[in-house]
Amino acid sequence: MKENLFLILFLIALTSICDTINQLFLKSTIDGLNFSPSFNIFKIIRFIFKLVKTPRLWVGFIFSVISLVIWLFVLSKSDLNFAFSADSMHYIFIALASGLVLKERIGSLRWIGTACIVIGIILASLS
Amino acid sequence: MIGDISKKKVTFKIIAMLVFSDILETAVHFCFKKSVFALDNFQLTGLASAALFIKTVSVSPYLWLGLISVGAVFVVWSTILSKIDLSVAVPIASFSYILVPLVSIIFLHERVGVLRWLGIIFILLGVIAVSLSSREKITPVIK
Repeated sequence: MKENLFLILFLIALTSICDTINQLFLKSTIDGLNFSPSFNIFKIIRFIFKLVKTPRLWVGFIFSVISLVIWLFVLSKSDLNFAFSADSMHYIFIALASGLVLKERIGSLRWIGTACIVIGIILASLS
Repeated sequence: MIGDISKKKVTFKIIAMLVFSDILETAVHFCFKKSVFALDNFQLTGLASAALFIKTVSVSPYLWLGLISVGAVFVVWSTILSKIDLSVAVPIASFSYILVPLVSIIFLHERVGVLRWLGIIFILLGVIAVSLSSREKITPVIK
């Protein structure tokens, strides 16, 4: 049972990492397009067209499909309530990736929140 | 400062939309769980069995219902974000961390212990702190 728990946590980490990679690609694609928020429907459609034509977006999309497949496999092995709680670890990976890859600055409140999530996942895993 | 361009107030309509997006989000994962219910004792032995897993799941109507819900969540969530700030929306939307265990207990007959509820509360507090931190004023690093 314990071995199984670690495997499931590892796989959830893997889906979270795939999700994070997808988010990074999406973020860098959108940043590269220099889009300023607008409610003009034509501008939005043109933006979506440009987005879809960017290969980087599709690399991200492939990762989100991989993430979905692993997630379905996790759900076949584990309770939904546990898997869903543990999936909140993507907040940790997003924080790390934003700091390391995107060079965003991460404030103390965000680190406190991330630490809370880690404690929560550990508590949820113990039961 | 980011706070200066804060958007409109959270109205009853937006709260209703947030609750709706929570319910949809919960439905997504409920459907995904249902789609793999028949694969409970599935053993992954190699690429062939992985292909079998994907083939079995892809014909499940629950998977497609789940994916449609993903699309619906995206539309509802985008509408919400066009009206209020992300740091306001996320804490209200994290209600799904409570909703999913409740649905798991009622419809999937899963057991949720005291320790797990405690864990869920910590996760909830963490998510709220992370989303509020986007308003944090971060002093630039002086080099």
